[in-house]
Amino acid sequence: MTALDMQDVRKTYGSGENEVVALDHATLTVGDDEMVALIGPSGSGKTTLLSIAGGLLSPTDGSVHVGPHAITEYDRKALTKFRRDFVGFVFQGANLVPFLTARENLLVVADVSGKRGRDVERRADTLLEELGLGHRKKNTPPQLSGGERQRVAIGRALMNEPELVLFDEPTSALDTKLGEQVMDLIRSEVKGRGTAAIVVTHDTRMTPYADRVVEIRDGRLAA
Amino acid sequence: MKLAWRELTRRPSRFVTAGAALTLIVLLLLALGGILDALVQSSTGLLKAQTAPLIVYSADSKGSIDRSRVTAEDRAAVEAVPGVHDASGLGLALLAGYLPGHTEPSNVAVFGYEAANLRVPAPPQPGEGYADRSLETDGLAIGETVELGTARIPVKVVGWVQDTNYNLQSGLWVDAATWRRALNANIPDAAVAPGTFQAILVTPEESTTPAQLETAIDAAVPAVNALTIPQAIAGIPGVAEQDSVFTSIIGVTFAVAGIVVALFFALLTIERVGLLGVLKAIGASSRTLAAGLTLQAILIAGGAIVLGSLLAVALAQVIPDAVPLTLTVGRFVFTAVGLIVAALIGSAISFRRIIRIDPASAVGGA
Amino acid sequence: MFRILGKKGRPAARMTGKEKDVRLALAEIRRAKLRFGLLTGAVALLVFLILFQQSLAGSLLGQFTGGLEHQSATVLVYAADARRTVDGSRVTPAQVAQVAAVPGVAASGPIGEGSFTARLGDGQLSDTSVIGYELGGPGFPTTLSSGRLPASDGEAVASAADASQGYDIGQTVTVVPGDTPVTIVGLADNIQFNVQPTLFVSFATFEGLVRATNPDARAVLPNLVGVEPAAGVEPVALASTITAQVAGVEALDRDTAVASLPGVSSIEQSFNIILGLAFVVVILLTGFFFLIITVQKTPSLTLLRAVGASGGFLLRNLIVQVLLVIGGALVIAVPLTIAAVSGSSSAAFQATVDPAVIVTTSIAIVLLAVVASIGAMRRVAKIDPAAATARLTGGGLA
Repeated sequence: MTALDMQDVRKTYGSGENEVVALDHATLTVGDDEMVALIGPSGSGKTTLLSIAGGLLSPTDGSVHVGPHAITEYDRKALTKFRRDFVGFVFQGANLVPFLTARENLLVVADVSGKRGRDVERRADTLLEELGLGHRKKNTPPQLSGGERQRVAIGRALMNEPELVLFDEPTSALDTKLGEQVMDLIRSEVKGRGTAAIVVTHDTRMTPYADRVVEIRDGRLAA
Repeated sequence: MKLAWRELTRRPSRFVTAGAALTLIVLLLLALGGILDALVQSSTGLLKAQTAPLIVYSADSKGSIDRSRVTAEDRAAVEAVPGVHDASGLGLALLAGYLPGHTEPSNVAVFGYEAANLRVPAPPQPGEGYADRSLETDGLAIGETVELGTARIPVKVVGWVQDTNYNLQSGLWVDAATWRRALNANIPDAAVAPGTFQAILVTPEESTTPAQLETAIDAAVPAVNALTIPQAIAGIPGVAEQDSVFTSIIGVTFAVAGIVVALFFALLTIERVGLLGVLKAIGASSRTLAAGLTLQAILIAGGAIVLGSLLAVALAQVIPDAVPLTLTVGRFVFTAVGLIVAALIGSAISFRRIIRIDPASAVGGA
Repeated sequence: MFRILGKKGRPAARMTGKEKDVRLALAEIRRAKLRFGLLTGAVALLVFLILFQQSLAGSLLGQFTGGLEHQSATVLVYAADARRTVDGSRVTPAQVAQVAAVPGVAASGPIGEGSFTARLGDGQLSDTSVIGYELGGPGFPTTLSSGRLPASDGEAVASAADASQGYDIGQTVTVVPGDTPVTIVGLADNIQFNVQPTLFVSFATFEGLVRATNPDARAVLPNLVGVEPAAGVEPVALASTITAQVAGVEALDRDTAVASLPGVSSIEQSFNIILGLAFVVVILLTGFFFLIITVQKTPSLTLLRAVGASGGFLLRNLIVQVLLVIGGALVIAVPLTIAAVSGSSSAAFQATVDPAVIVTTSIAIVLLAVVASIGAMRRVAKIDPAAATARLTGGGLA
């Protein structure tokens, strides 16, 4: 089964003379266990593609399937639920809740969907151990280093056992060594679970970690 | 929900502004309400204490007990009206009351009465009286004698009553003869003949309703005007105006509370727009986020109610005696409920903004 | 922010400093209409509360005390046990005579006061205060606006505010019971007593009214003795002398007597408490609001400083916004007050707005609001332009 099947997706903003084409004829498939690096300069549309893949944006044309879900047919509420249950996001700069501990940050999605329970909590603790944050789980983001914060973000993204995890420039705020550590971690986590991943980056040093590299420029994917 | 609670408990300082403003508003509301309740109570307490459903004044007194005079003949005429089960007299004299050991007199409303009511037992012996608790606060004790007016008519206190003040003056309930003596000796121009009272309280027979009897009495005895107790209360000069003025001010204050909440949460939402976007991106619905906001609004309002109430109670202890203030349970409840409603409405103003936050804004970096 | 300077094609460099301030402030307010709108609304309502209550309290007090305040006796003698209430005071003829004999007294005479029911020309019953004084002696109204003082029994000067209610010159009101007619020959301003229409009559008329309404009355004693001091004698000093020399009385100068009337103290103090609280809430709200907004704006303000805006410029910008908000609030609150005050007026209670009070309160509020924004101003002053290059997190995230 493919984790992501994007067919001929087009995203435009505005109309007539002021129309901006962010994404044009984007076709991309990502297998269940694949890690794809999406490379392109700023303004190339990679963020748009990521957002559409994750159900954050709806395309103007084309179809998107994530696993069995035909998300282009979903309304806003259905998309919210979809993201909650089937997608993980790791944003540039971690974007953690500043007044929650690392552990609580992992449990945020469960809180928000009301699915809190012993199973969920155990999963959070396990993830924290795997990510090397067992001893930091009671610390809040201001008390964590940049690398630790990014790792918490990765843990959060994996909590709901997603089909697809989307990474937006995960290493841009980190130095080379830390960046490599994070990419390593991403790869092992993703591969170990059979989760697909798309990593958007403009840093070519990070591409060797991916199974495949896709280039995007001016809204179009390279063949 | 948990998220909202955690933010409130872990970052209380950012909620302090709204909390402080709302606390002061609660204090303001309780002060306003307390003054209104005291004013209304002092004007209406006497009437509200009556068990008889009808009160009969002289026709020209315009519902003012001070100016009313019902003679013995008029009373007999009233009692002769079919449907009257019982009639008892009520007299009033506003006098200075000299307490033992005090040089400054207290303000006393002397009531001459013939039958027990909700708050006062049956009339005592001549020369004795039931005193309102406010006189105890002034320094009076049971068994002591109050001297009334320049003529120093003595009345021995044999028991306490409560909430029987008139015109902010402490009630002293005595039998008719004692009341007449105190009035005639001290205020000669208001002297009354034996048998004359300011008002007659009337209880109808089982078979007659108060409304029916009221009409019957008015028709049979043109010299008097019968009113039901609620009508009499409504007719007390000034009460309706006081009520409407204070109530509008209280209404405006509630509106301000709602706006404070709206303002504060609008600002808070703007400050947290990034966080809200991220939460939406990872699957929080607008409904969940809005519910969290509402929870915070209610909790802050609740805290303000508790703190404001404590301050109001403290205020009541230190305000000068000249300011009438009474804090009733009903007033606390009304204020609490009103504030919560205002907070709910205020927080709802931010809902649209929350709904409009685009989860896609989380992607793309700072 | 850069788009704002130099709007409408005018190069920023050519605008005067003041114009830039106001432009920037206005533009920001336009951008954040909800926020500023809510704050202005809240302040407007609170200011309205303050102004409205001041007007009510002022009018109410005047209608309680006018009759006493605007009559000619500058010293008033009460019974010692009257607790300074006119209603509770009765002086004996002996005491009246003794007061007249006190040195320093130029003229004195009895003053009676009572509350009666009057039937007006159209048959309606109306509560009326009646004040009786000896014609030619102290106690006549000092604010006659039309007509004349009573020259004989049965004539009266009425409160001008009630002229349209049936108390106009030439009209006759009948005091019931007893059906005693009183004809109005003059009108005076601000002479209401106990918030009721008020009539000034001769003492003999007053006596007659008391006996007519209460046939059982034994004697009609005056409530007060009104005194006019001799030339060069101070009312306060004369009052003390009278109190000392005449047994069983307490003499007060007119101002003290008015301030001591029952209800005056309660009303004044009650309203002071409420006004005090309302003022505090206005200040708190304004101060904290601008502090919060300033903190939120710190990134953009830092940027402005980095590109050359002076600290003074930012400060002026803030003050302009405070003034605009308070100004907006006043623009809403003042007309609202005027409307509400006339709306609350009824035949029974006429409230008027005192422009002097509104102006003073408005100025006070503007000043206090600026003082309240000191917190925000200090924050603005602390902005370090060098911080513009540091990485800023925004939106409440870590």
